[in-house]
Amino acid sequence: MKRFKYADERISERDIMIAIPSIVMGVGILSMPKQLASVTKGADGWIPLLLGGLFAVFISWAIAKFASGFQGQTFLTYASKIVTKPVAIVLSLMFAILSIFVTAYQIRKISNISQQYLFDRTPIEVIALPFLLVVVYAVSGSRAGLFRINMMFMPIILSIALIIVVFSVGWLNAGNLMPVLQTPITGYTQVIANTGAISYLGFGILWFYLSLVDKPKKAPKAAALGMCIPVGLYMMIFIMCIGVFGNAVTSNLLYPTIELAKVVEIPGGFFERFESVFFVIWIMAIFITATMAMDIGIFALNAIFKNTEKLKIIFILTPIIYFVGMFPRDVMEVDLIGSIMSWLMLILNITVLILLTVVAKIRGVKRNE
Amino acid sequence: MLGRSFYWQNKKKNTEENFSLEIGTNLTENLSNIRKMLEDPSDLVIREFTIGKANHRIAIVYIDGIVNNIYIHDHIMEDLKNASDLPVDKQELFDAVDKEVITVTGIERGHSLDDVSNAILSGNTVFYLDGVDQVLIMDTIGGESRAIEEPQSESLIRGSKEGFVENIRTNTMMIRRYIADPNLRFSTYKVGRRSKKELVVSYMDGIVNPDMVDEVKRRLETIDIDDAPESGYIEQWIEDSFLSPFPQILNTERPDKASEALLKGKVVILLDRTPFVLIAPATFGGLLQSPEDNYWRWSLGTLVRMLRYLAAFISVFLPALYIALVSYHPGLIPSDLAFSIAASRDEVPFPPVMEALIMTATMELLREAGLRLPTAIGQTIGIVGGLVIGEAAVSAGIVSPIMVIVVALNAIASFALPSYSIAITFRILQFGLMAAAAVFGLYGIILCYIMINIHIVNLMSFGVPYSTPFAPSFMNDWKDLVLRAPIAMMKRRPVYMQTNDKKLMNKGERKQ
Repeated sequence: MKRFKYADERISERDIMIAIPSIVMGVGILSMPKQLASVTKGADGWIPLLLGGLFAVFISWAIAKFASGFQGQTFLTYASKIVTKPVAIVLSLMFAILSIFVTAYQIRKISNISQQYLFDRTPIEVIALPFLLVVVYAVSGSRAGLFRINMMFMPIILSIALIIVVFSVGWLNAGNLMPVLQTPITGYTQVIANTGAISYLGFGILWFYLSLVDKPKKAPKAAALGMCIPVGLYMMIFIMCIGVFGNAVTSNLLYPTIELAKVVEIPGGFFERFESVFFVIWIMAIFITATMAMDIGIFALNAIFKNTEKLKIIFILTPIIYFVGMFPRDVMEVDLIGSIMSWLMLILNITVLILLTVVAKIRGVKRNE
Repeated sequence: MLGRSFYWQNKKKNTEENFSLEIGTNLTENLSNIRKMLEDPSDLVIREFTIGKANHRIAIVYIDGIVNNIYIHDHIMEDLKNASDLPVDKQELFDAVDKEVITVTGIERGHSLDDVSNAILSGNTVFYLDGVDQVLIMDTIGGESRAIEEPQSESLIRGSKEGFVENIRTNTMMIRRYIADPNLRFSTYKVGRRSKKELVVSYMDGIVNPDMVDEVKRRLETIDIDDAPESGYIEQWIEDSFLSPFPQILNTERPDKASEALLKGKVVILLDRTPFVLIAPATFGGLLQSPEDNYWRWSLGTLVRMLRYLAAFISVFLPALYIALVSYHPGLIPSDLAFSIAASRDEVPFPPVMEALIMTATMELLREAGLRLPTAIGQTIGIVGGLVIGEAAVSAGIVSPIMVIVVALNAIASFALPSYSIAITFRILQFGLMAAAAVFGLYGIILCYIMINIHIVNLMSFGVPYSTPFAPSFMNDWKDLVLRAPIAMMKRRPVYMQTNDKKLMNKGERKQ
């Protein structure tokens, strides 16, 4: 059937701009203030947050810049041109495996948090299954549909986050933000070792999704702009958490962002416990993160196994994701796996970026501009 | 089915034996052919008489009741009888009757018995001349039909009180009156194997995207059914996904709504014998719009639109939220309210799910019962229903008063939606959400909501994504979505329709 131009499977640079915050903002934001506050003093956590954010903005821009040079080519195609096919396949596989781990991690995390805030007795396995099935339903549809979902959910997600920030201003205690700049250098290095990169991960999608963009010229700018959204939001949330709870309390709360929502009182007396409402809506953010991560996995695998149907790949991946997600025994293990995974993801992205750029320069691979 | 096709086969055998499908030169044989084909029904009128000096035998054939008798008398019979100086040669006489004598406006020639039978069965009159193997088919369609009335399913406070009727000519006439533009196109199709119903595809040439028209026509050409009694048959045949609960084609009884859609670059499909015309494509945003939004000043239009989104939310989510909050998250409700709910639910023996199911099922029954009954009794049903549900059920301790409020609000909200087809959709979704809420509480509701969204973004209506202009988003179209911008600011036609003529909708510029 004939479709209108805008209704086909291509995406615009605006979709890229929305996709970046969609995948970046997931479960990380819920515990991020705790991890930062535990190694910094006062509200100093905003410095690594900002620096890490700028770094992420730069990386996003760089990846988008590089990938947009190969218009309409999948990652596997242009990586094969640059670093031979076997290496490209290995890189694609690594992206696929890590993406699957990200999906599993998000699903496990959301089950844990749901159990804490919404259910008491329901086992994690039961909470995770319907969520995974909804994710599978989403990735079985069209890829352009995912970007439409991002476009529809992002305003809701951003507004609920902003509501929290705005309505908690009343509880802000300026004294909690003091003292300023007292954190020793070792504190900052600890931040980087602990958490620094985790919160901003997600720029890896650019390697793959840029092949769907029709006019990728503006994509680097769009990707960088998109990355600015989580950077700004994270800093606001972090400062509000510290300002409301103080550094010591924040570092002892498991999910300070949700606790911040607990403080919020929406006028009208309609919601007694706003944190449940916040978390329920935040499920949408986690959902799109998990969905896009899984879709990247499918995208990468589909490029390698060209003759395999997409649905077949999905049906093979689904049980794997479920078992990987259910494997860790407790929250500590989940977090450990989460940070290992994030580091691997970061290293992989930077390695690929440097490797491809340098080799392309040396071998003089032409870009189609 | 089997019996019927058997009957038809028998019939076919008779056909071959008894009469020929060609029109011969012998008038008596021709007339007996048509009599045999229709088995000489009592409403078949055959008038034989002679005209001209040479006393040529002629016959007028029509079916009584579906023709305009006065018109036949004035413009066929009188003309034929009063005609003078007619040629003697039969073929010349036939041509003269066609060209000069008869003053009926619509006239064409037929060459086979099928032409004749189809023509008279749809209200035309057929003229036979002895010795000529052709007939004249004259447009005398008439008969009783309903007068133009205010549409019952879509009445407005402000706006035209005209509604479409069953007669397709009247309907096309009404659209023509709204859009007096040479680029308004009506392409005619016949649907149905047995009963050939007229179907008209209407669009604005120069505005509409040609791909859209081609796609609609392509799908219409695939229709292969015995008969299409209502445009619902057409809708279900050409829609994109029959599994979706969402209507992918809008229907309306209002000519103003249809002509507004035409000017936005949509395609309107009219079918004979039904006042409901179809508008394709449909998008989610369009389901919550009513023509009246544009008739009032923009501030009211905007507020009413926002109210409708609230109504949509209530009609889908409210019972589910009640179940989730009462059975899973009582802590979320303000404590005073939670206590009073708990107190009022004290005597209720059922869990919230059962309570909600009982009440919503009762509500659906009331709704359905009210529809079937004549208006006078319908009101009684309303009173009885209101009393029984509102008072007796509560005091008998079957349901809690809060549940009554929830169901009442839910029903009112679904009645507030501008189109019945979307109200039905939301009613269906509401049950799915109730089930999800019963199993997983708020978590289930949000997962269900996500699923509905996934479905909507993957749904297409004639190549247009159902979720547009939300996503793929077109900022220009947001002026006429949840908000309704002042008329003077809505300068362009909807971008999502990819119209040929994009400019200045309000200044009515036309592509030449």
